[in-house]
Amino acid sequence: MSRRAVCGIVARELIRFQRQRGRVLASLVRPFVWLIFAGAGFATVFTGAGEIDYRRYMAPGLLGMVVMFGSLLAALSTVTDRDAGVLRMVLVAPIRRSTIALGKTLGATLLGTTQAVMVGTILLSLVRLWPGPAGLLLAFVAIVLSSLALGALGLLLAATIRSIENFAGVMNFVVFPMLFLSGALYPVRRLGPALHAVVYLNPLAYGVDLLKHALLAGWTSAGYGGEMPVALDVAGLAAFAVAGLLAAARLLGREEGVTRAAFRERD
Amino acid sequence: MTAAAIEARGLGKDFGSIRALDHLDLEVREGEFFGFLGPNGAGKTTTVHLLATLLRPTRGAARVAGYDVVRDDLQTRRSIGLVFQETTLDRDLTVEENLRFAARLWNLPGRVAAPRIAELLGQFGLLERRRDRVRALAGGMRRALDIARGMLHEPRVLFLDEPTAGLDPRARRSLWELLQRLRAASGLTVFLTTHYVEEAEPCDRVAVLDRGRLAALGTPAELKRAAGVQSLEDVFLARTGHPLAEPSAA
Repeated sequence: MSRRAVCGIVARELIRFQRQRGRVLASLVRPFVWLIFAGAGFATVFTGAGEIDYRRYMAPGLLGMVVMFGSLLAALSTVTDRDAGVLRMVLVAPIRRSTIALGKTLGATLLGTTQAVMVGTILLSLVRLWPGPAGLLLAFVAIVLSSLALGALGLLLAATIRSIENFAGVMNFVVFPMLFLSGALYPVRRLGPALHAVVYLNPLAYGVDLLKHALLAGWTSAGYGGEMPVALDVAGLAAFAVAGLLAAARLLGREEGVTRAAFRERD
Repeated sequence: MTAAAIEARGLGKDFGSIRALDHLDLEVREGEFFGFLGPNGAGKTTTVHLLATLLRPTRGAARVAGYDVVRDDLQTRRSIGLVFQETTLDRDLTVEENLRFAARLWNLPGRVAAPRIAELLGQFGLLERRRDRVRALAGGMRRALDIARGMLHEPRVLFLDEPTAGLDPRARRSLWELLQRLRAASGLTVFLTTHYVEEAEPCDRVAVLDRGRLAALGTPAELKRAAGVQSLEDVFLARTGHPLAEPSAA
C-alpha cells in the first residue's frame, strides 16, 4: 500500500473541490434551504411540537444529508474521472486497485466531513442546540464514520455505473430513498414493518441515528433521540465502509471497458 | 547481454466473440524504436493495453522489461510509461499539479520529483505554462504534457498509442522532433502505434498488424525490399491485400 499514492489521490480531490465554487456553495446552502422550507412545512404536521421544535429535531438529519451529498457525490466523481480519462492514468500507475479505492474513499470522507463540520457550526447555533463536549465529540465521530461509509458506497456505485447519464438514476433511486428512510425528517420507528426493515439496509440511517444520539440525547425519553443502540450504529457504518471498499476495489480491477468499447465501435 | 524489452508469445485477446488480437509473437530489443503499423481496429491498442497490464490476455504470455505482465503486474507498470490515445490529464489541475499528482502515484518522493518535474517542463517547452490549467492548453501542448508525464518515473519502455492523433500538422511535427530528441538523449525503448506510414518510416523496425494478426515484421527497408515495393503503404497492400487507409469520402 503506497501512502504517497493515497495522499496524492486525496490531495487531488481537495484541489478540485475548492476550484468548483458552485459545488462548494451548493453544499453549504442546501441544508439551510431544507431547514427553511422543509422545516416550515413539516413543522405544521409534526406531532411532537409540544416536546421538541421541529427545526431542532431535523438538525441531525440535515447534517446527515450534508455528509451524504458531500461524500457520496465526491466518490461518484470517479465516473467523471473515467469519462475524462484520468481514471486510466491512475489504473496504469504501479499501485494496487485497493490503494485507488482507499484514496478515493478517504478523499470523499474528508470532503464530507469538512462540509458537515462547516454547516454544523452554523446550523447548531441557528436551532440553538448545545449538546456539550461529549455530544459534539460523538457527533464528529458520527460524521466521520458516515462520510466513510457513504464514500465507500459512492465509489462502489461509480465502479458499477458506466456513464454520467445513469447519474440521474442514482439520484432518484439511491439518494432520495436513502434520505427518506434515514430518519432525517421523521422517526423511522413509525414506518410500517416492511419499510422499517429497509432502514437497516440504509447506511445513512445509522449515521443519522448516531447523530441523534449525539445531538438530541435530551429528547430520547420523548422518542426523538436515537432509535437504535449506539453500538449498532457504529457497527453498521463500519460494515458498510469495509464492504463498500472491498467490493469497489474488486470492481475497479476490471476496467476493461476502454478497449472493449473501441471494438464495439469498429463493428 | 541485452534482454528483450518486450517479448510476446502467442499473445491473444478476445472480447466476447470478437478476436481483437489473434496470436502475436514479437520481440522488441532494448533501446529500439519500434513501430506498430495498422489501420484502426487492427488490435494495436489492445496489444498496448495487454503489454501495459490493463487487459488480461485470453491466451499466450508476454514479458515487458523482463516482467511477466500477468504475474508481475506492479513491476511491469513501474517499468513502463504509457501515453494513451486520448489525453488522460486532469483539465482542472495546472500543468505542474498534473505532474505532481502523477509523481505521487508513482511513489516518487518530493526531493526526487521536484527537480525531475522542472527538467521535464523545460525539455517539453512547458515551463512558462506550468501554472496554467490544462483546460487552457492547445492540443499539441496537452500531448507534450501527456508524454512528459509518461516519462516522469524514467521508464525503461515508453508506449505511445497514436500520439499524434487529432493534432494539426505543425503540432505533429514539433511533437515528432521532441520524440527524436528524447530518444537520442535517453536510449529509451519506444513502442509506437500508428496508422500513418510516415510515422512508421523512421522506426528501427516495423510490425504490420491487420485484423489482429501480424502481417509483416522487419526494418522499413527490408519490408519494402521483400515486397518489391517503394513505400510502407504498398507493403501493407501487398501483405494484406487491402489498402491501409480507406479512401476518404471527400
